Amino acid sequence: MSTTTVRASRRADTPAVRVGPLARAARRFGVRMVAPSALLLVVLLAIPSLLTVAYSVHKVPSNGASLGEFVGFDNFAVVLSSPVFWSSMRTTLIFSAGFVVLSTVIGLATAVLLNQEFVGRSFARALLIVPWAMPWLVLGILWRWYADGSVGGLNSLLLTLGVIDDYQEFLADPTSALLLTIVAAVWRQASFAGILFLSGLQTLPAELNEAAELDGAGIWGRFLHITLAWLRPVLITVTVLNVIYAFLQFDVIFAMTQGGPGDATQVLSILIYRQLFVVTNIGLGSALAVVLGGLALVGGLVTVKLLYSSESR
Amino acid sequence: MTVSSPAAPASRPRPVRNSRGGRRRRPLVTVVIYLGAVVFALWVLLPVWYLLVSSLITPAQLGVRPFPMVPSSITLDNYVSLLTGSTGGDAFGSTDVGARLVPAIGQSFLVSTVLVVLNLLLAGIAGYALSRYPFRGSRTFELTIIASRVVPAIAIVGPFFVAFRVLELLDTPWALIISYNVFTLPLAIMVLKNYFDQLPHEIEEAASIDGAGRLRALAVVVLPIAKPGIVASGVLIFLEAWSEFFYSLVLTNQLTVPPLLVGFQSVQQFNWNSLAAATVLAMIPPVLLVLAFQRHVVSALAAGYDK
Repeated sequence: MSTTTVRASRRADTPAVRVGPLARAARRFGVRMVAPSALLLVVLLAIPSLLTVAYSVHKVPSNGASLGEFVGFDNFAVVLSSPVFWSSMRTTLIFSAGFVVLSTVIGLATAVLLNQEFVGRSFARALLIVPWAMPWLVLGILWRWYADGSVGGLNSLLLTLGVIDDYQEFLADPTSALLLTIVAAVWRQASFAGILFLSGLQTLPAELNEAAELDGAGIWGRFLHITLAWLRPVLITVTVLNVIYAFLQFDVIFAMTQGGPGDATQVLSILIYRQLFVVTNIGLGSALAVVLGGLALVGGLVTVKLLYSSESR
Repeated sequence: MTVSSPAAPASRPRPVRNSRGGRRRRPLVTVVIYLGAVVFALWVLLPVWYLLVSSLITPAQLGVRPFPMVPSSITLDNYVSLLTGSTGGDAFGSTDVGARLVPAIGQSFLVSTVLVVLNLLLAGIAGYALSRYPFRGSRTFELTIIASRVVPAIAIVGPFFVAFRVLELLDTPWALIISYNVFTLPLAIMVLKNYFDQLPHEIEEAASIDGAGRLRALAVVVLPIAKPGIVASGVLIFLEAWSEFFYSLVLTNQLTVPPLLVGFQSVQQFNWNSLAAATVLAMIPPVLLVLAFQRHVVSALAAGYDK
């Protein structure tokens, strides 16, 4: 902890050191070093994003060669009046709510657990990294087959435990398909959250807990007022990232169900994919993409707001 | 680097706890902890174990119910046929589906490695400058690249597709090397910037008194000290590039491993055993890399997302 404070004070000091004629040269050096990356990101990130926004207000020909006719907000009007969009929106919100809550809670629980002392802890901590190191797509395939109705490990497990009488086609049922895509995605994201939470916990001074214990605080009280309070910055970061990842999730669902059965797992990103590359309605797909980007942005900002205000008592 | 090795930090400040831990609570807490550890291990390991076993048994064994979690015999045939490209079947118009895996692994390595080198170079100087030579607008730049996370890949892939078709770069590694910068470069800049923030400033100040130029100070004095952070960023970039699926799906014809795996799924003759083996091969490089550099990667990750 002492290192943290030293570092913080140093960081605060440094700008003051650079005054006088050298300062301008230093700043110019800074600009020159950042320029290549900034330029690349403008070309690769900003321009395509703006193009998509431009597509969204045009009736773009399906080969995408030109913008086509300007149609104002027609595409958005079509989107907002479409039942398919609203059903997809509903699926997205259910998926996201499950994903965010479970990833955060399981991640936090895992981190608290792996912060205790027990035999085999280093092994458990290595295990924590494994789901996170797996590509989303790979774990989507893994869970697709794990949940399979004829050769799946999940069926086998549940059968052995006596939960089910016979093998079930989990991914053919709308409810369990959506549930399983959430569980699969959470499997990785909870590990990511757990890694960040655990790093945060490892910097928690033991004295805080000891003092609270002497004051007679119970386990739950200490968790709320010390652990959670200490983790607040990490909690905000993790939750915001979870919200963004939730809205943008594509790989896992594509690998497991491709949006099916029917449209049970057709979250917005899958719907946009179909619009852009199956139906090749670029204008409409772009409008949807703008809505999705906006949703992720608003979701992230609202989360920040909520978490900051809820804690500032 | 405050977030250090798994075993180190916790051993120090516990004695008070142990002596005081409470006669009533301690055994119960211990039981809960071990129970939790077992549940956690099963949660992670069961799916992975299922995958591993599937890749090591025959289709006949796979049909057994319940699934043989401890198979009576194992075989490497699934791997051998994949690696030698003799999985049979001629879907996709290519003579053999499995034959595409090894080249795809090669392409994945190529794309990921080029990106690591390119991004470390670009993000290295950018992150260093943001940390040490902030200018007007540098904070805005940082916030912008953090905020760029909310841009859906699907929202920018369309323009890429059109541009690459014109440039005739579709289905080449270049399409991916170029487009992946959209997510690897911001990540690398933030991780490296935060890492440089943690290094004491005295090191370059001493060097600049000696008259070394700023870039020289970076190369000669800072880089050697920053090695752990650079390695960790390299691993993170590799991981992101190796794992990427969506751009590769749209901009290439299953050039890298992830879209190829999805392609395998839709081929009838391609059974789960072979797919499992291919999936294992696809996850070995990132998992090994991360486990090998576990400590560095975890601290870089923690620092990279702490704004």
